[in-house]
Amino acid sequence: MANSTILFLRRVWAFVARDWRLELSYRMQFFLRILSILIVVTTLFFISKIFAGFTDPRFEQWRDPLAAWLTGLAVLNYFMTGFSSLANAIRQEQVQGTLESVLMTPISVPTVIVASSAWDFVQATFFSFLYLFFGWLFFGVHYRGSFLLALLFLLLTTMVLSCLGILSASFAMVFKRGDPFGIFLGTGSALFSGVFFPTQLISQYAGTGVASISRILPATYGLDGIRRVLIVGQGFSQVREPLLTLLVFLAVLLPFSLWVFGRAVRRAKREGSLIQY
Amino acid sequence: MPTPQHLREIVTGDYPHGDRPIAVAITNLAKTYPVPFLRLKKLLRRKFKPPVEAVRNVSFNVHEGEIFGLIGPNGAGKTTLTKIIATLVQPTSGVVTVRGHDSVHDDEIVRRNVGLAGAEERSFYFRLTAEQNLLFFARLYGLSGSTARQRIDELRALFELEELRARRYAELSTGNKQRLSVARAMLANPPVLLLDEPTRSLDPLAAARMRATIKSLAQSSGRRATVFLTSHNLAEVEELCDRVAVISKGEIRALDTPAKLRARHTEEEQVSIGFALLTIADAEHALSRSFSRDLFVLQAGERADESVVKFKRAANDDLLNNVLRVLQESGAVIRGVESARPTLLDVLESYEQLNENTAISDRSIEI
Repeated sequence: MANSTILFLRRVWAFVARDWRLELSYRMQFFLRILSILIVVTTLFFISKIFAGFTDPRFEQWRDPLAAWLTGLAVLNYFMTGFSSLANAIRQEQVQGTLESVLMTPISVPTVIVASSAWDFVQATFFSFLYLFFGWLFFGVHYRGSFLLALLFLLLTTMVLSCLGILSASFAMVFKRGDPFGIFLGTGSALFSGVFFPTQLISQYAGTGVASISRILPATYGLDGIRRVLIVGQGFSQVREPLLTLLVFLAVLLPFSLWVFGRAVRRAKREGSLIQY
Repeated sequence: MPTPQHLREIVTGDYPHGDRPIAVAITNLAKTYPVPFLRLKKLLRRKFKPPVEAVRNVSFNVHEGEIFGLIGPNGAGKTTLTKIIATLVQPTSGVVTVRGHDSVHDDEIVRRNVGLAGAEERSFYFRLTAEQNLLFFARLYGLSGSTARQRIDELRALFELEELRARRYAELSTGNKQRLSVARAMLANPPVLLLDEPTRSLDPLAAARMRATIKSLAQSSGRRATVFLTSHNLAEVEELCDRVAVISKGEIRALDTPAKLRARHTEEEQVSIGFALLTIADAEHALSRSFSRDLFVLQAGERADESVVKFKRAANDDLLNNVLRVLQESGAVIRGVESARPTLLDVLESYEQLNENTAISDRSIEI
């Protein structure tokens, strides 16, 4: 057991070290991304001033719109990594022609899944932190509540979205291009899960039918939970409902997505299309 | 020339160390690449190409410590067969086991026992250095940091990659990329090595060193590596391999030691005898008294005072001795004897020719 854990960590580390070195070979891109986050945070600060004094009791999480947007963007960045990183990694390995070499090593499917995405999560953690950090440092945004509870929400939601990411990667493995999960979840999460505006507004302006879309997106529950904790300051007992919903999502999606990915790898091997793209 | 009988016959060959344990066992293997989304295409009445039958009814064993060659023209099924052993492609039917482990059900264990050096150049990370690439794959093979570095140092010395450690993969020459690929296959010191054209882009000296390395791997006194080699360089296959299989259109046409394959291909060899102190006319006169005139071709040799007589003879007959005796009794001094035996290229060509003939006769039957 201890040996297999060491072996697993060694392999994850190999991927992280590889991607770190590849990232270092594109230094400029790294610094430009930091700059772009600073520009986005600054822009949102000025837009938030338009809504100064906004006190509608229905939208408790949005009393400080800058804080709501920054948590939304930070968390969305993390969620997007969850469901797109594996598909991107698989696709990149296919295009580079290295997927066969990786799958030629004695590495299991779950290890490929975790290890391929590991660096993206390291990066997402850093950039998501930057949204919150710049808000706090330059524009006086304050967060309260339990950071540990917020972290639990973040972890759980990311795991659920990673399951969707595994389904997305399975699609990339078989169909190579045209991943519907990326399209629907990418645009869908930004629009319907409350990143930029409260989800209650959807039912008010577009009807309950459209509003139900936000209820089937795991990101909605994750974002709601994190904002309730960090902005409103709610505790564990008050955020139990979104937490349980996320657990149900995870219990259903995790085994299903792993099963589908295993099938996709087998299908690609049957068709001999592992290095095709 | 092989007969159609040979097409039906798979000769397992007498491997001199046949008592050694079996490293790779292939039984009734077939691989047909399916048409992707066939049902959908049929439903939409879209045109589709027929499924490709890449490997058909292949069975043979490779023993521990054996260097086994697989030769055949492009598209014969060599790469598919290699990839099936490497678990990268799943067979349609049949079984492949590596040291007793099934390539489909125990694929992870099989990969621990196999190292593949493919002919694909795009199998490394172009922006990483040669060393960083090896380090990455060493970790995937489960080597700890210190063991990986030690192993990489050994392989760097073995494959003369010393100067390349800090250079990006993209900057390496094709030959060095090739050597790096073989080095990667050997990272975890696997008992079975699958080498696809290992000397393809190497200069003659480097190729000779690579061949020596491959030979030493199979002959080392410790754990002998089993080498499964595919190559278009038939001289190399002949030099290295204990046994060779000829694959064509997905089927194994013949399998034997290189010498026996050549012998089976044709029982004749072309002999040239260079001689001096006897004119062509006198030699012709002397030889035609003992042998049929149609048997010989006499011509001037490369040197001014030398002539050459050429003829074909069956292996192990007395013709060579008799011709030498007649020439010497007529006063000739023998300068040299050369015999041109069929090469594996001749063997391969004859099987391809047979394929074409069979295809033509099949078409005639259809008409």
